[in-house]
Amino acid sequence: MFADTFALTARSLKKWIRNPAAIMPGLFMAVFWLALFGSSFNPVNLVPTQIGGTALSPVLVEQIKSAMTSVFGGAANYITFITAGVISFIVIINMAYGGIDIVLDRQLGYLNSLLSAPISRASIFFSGVMQNFVKAMFIALLTFIVAILLPNGLQFGAGFGVLNLLGILVAFGLLTFGFGCLFTALAFSVKNVDSLVAIVNFLAFPLIFMSSAIFPLGTFPSWLKGIAEVNPITKASETTRLLIVNGNLTAAQFSTLTGNMLYLAITAVLLAIIGYLIARKALKAE
Amino acid sequence: MVRRQRPLKGIENMKTNIIEAANLTKTYKKTVKAVDHISFSVEEGELFGFIGPNGAGKTTTIKMLTTLASATEGKASVAGYDVAKNPGAVREKIGVVPQELTADDELKGVENLLLSAKLHHVPNDKARGKAKELLELLELEGAAQRQVKTFSGGMRRRLQLAMGLIHDPKILFLDEPTLGLDIQTRQNMWTYIRDLNRKKGITVFMTTHYLEEADSLCDRIAIIDNGVIKLSGSPSELKAKRGGTILTLQLTDGADISDVLGEIQDVTEVEKEAETYKIKLTKTENALPAIVENITKKGLKISDITLAKPTLDQVFLQITGDNMRDGAANGDSFGQRILIERLK
Repeated sequence: MFADTFALTARSLKKWIRNPAAIMPGLFMAVFWLALFGSSFNPVNLVPTQIGGTALSPVLVEQIKSAMTSVFGGAANYITFITAGVISFIVIINMAYGGIDIVLDRQLGYLNSLLSAPISRASIFFSGVMQNFVKAMFIALLTFIVAILLPNGLQFGAGFGVLNLLGILVAFGLLTFGFGCLFTALAFSVKNVDSLVAIVNFLAFPLIFMSSAIFPLGTFPSWLKGIAEVNPITKASETTRLLIVNGNLTAAQFSTLTGNMLYLAITAVLLAIIGYLIARKALKAE
Repeated sequence: MVRRQRPLKGIENMKTNIIEAANLTKTYKKTVKAVDHISFSVEEGELFGFIGPNGAGKTTTIKMLTTLASATEGKASVAGYDVAKNPGAVREKIGVVPQELTADDELKGVENLLLSAKLHHVPNDKARGKAKELLELLELEGAAQRQVKTFSGGMRRRLQLAMGLIHDPKILFLDEPTLGLDIQTRQNMWTYIRDLNRKKGITVFMTTHYLEEADSLCDRIAIIDNGVIKLSGSPSELKAKRGGTILTLQLTDGADISDVLGEIQDVTEVEKEAETYKIKLTKTENALPAIVENITKKGLKISDITLAKPTLDQVFLQITGDNMRDGAANGDSFGQRILIERLK
């Protein structure tokens, strides 16, 4: 099964590599979100220095600014905050729309030629997940690099190191894989691209907006906050911010990190099981 | 009412049946009977053709035999395995060449072949040898290192055939193998298919809606229409049984001699329209001299005479009352458009 999954994944990735333009939409999206959306807003700029002609005490201003920053997870600027959110957005959207290739494979009869070959249905499904997983993670990495390279861009906390980066990769790996399984299963279940796009738009955007990807949980109304708190995208975003803003974690921060990772791992496994069950039904003899 | 069909005549005491279908039925959406209680068998080493108009149930039958669709009723075995109970074993033994061109545009010819080999668990070194052999056989060596998007329609069809053969299947399923090809390229394909069957001993189950293709290639054919097998046998059998030679005569005098002609042995039917007689014959060598003799005896003169050999078209028209419509069956319009694009 692993050999088949690998062979099929390699096929898709080969096609991807031979068509380098394919990463451009993802890259553009990352640059626009970070450079335009991320730069246009900075929470500390909202803090007034005077009200009604009366200057506020600089100490007070600094205190408000620091309170504001802590709402944003201690991020030095909005780009630092939103990088995690943009990466979440990028991986979710890439996994979701990556399903279009799968729908095309069905429409062009390629899927049938896989189904009549002596390979397990699971390898057909998981190769569908893995091909998009690799692409999504690659674009996620590019996004991260773009955030660092931007002027007044992503700012790391003191002591940020390889382990932090590894932690970020694991968090997004789990998020990408879990939702990837769900979206891939949906792609195997629909018969045309229009249906897939409809379902994806219906799912992906609420998923992103009902999380702390773009704005901090502290600003949410309580009903939305309740939903956002259990959203894996929130967990991945918060974990990433924790690792970016704080180089060396305190014991409390470390336990938050472990909790989040565990949560992401469990949801990834659950989504993989659900996805596989949906796909198995969709890949059954018609 | 359940309609049952007799198994094909003469099958019982022959070689092993490598494909067997009994009352095979496929109903879509509970009401549409795509295939309706068909029974047939294919012997090992045979080149068997399913012919019928679009939507007759050819592709659905192939889908059931290749484990892509499950039968609503009845059963089928392929290479000794029940397709419903043991689909995995069936998949090991068969090669499938679909109507669609499924080779990846961005991959090279040989890469497509090797991927196909991997998916059929052919060891790497063996796959390379086999790929080389097939590329040579199908005259694609020159194109092996080129991306498939540069291939012509005929080359794509050949590559597709090679992809179905890379794992040395016992049975090859060909769904409209020459669909969309020009007559020259089509005849080349016929040579390849015939050679595979005769020289390599591969059993071939094919569908086509080109009658001359079935006539030229198949040992035995079954005519399917509206999901039902209407007639089966070797092309020559069917032509002799249902077609018959047609003699068209024009006589100088107006006297009607239809009755006289109709009584001659081996004449099965006489039709007269104005001065022209259309006479259906079974054995030309017996009937023709007798007809001429009778006409001469009556003192009549023949002003024009033509003899038409029986064709499958004739048989087919008689059975289905329908001309073959061109184009591919099934599939959605998007897939069709891509197919046409790729065949260019």
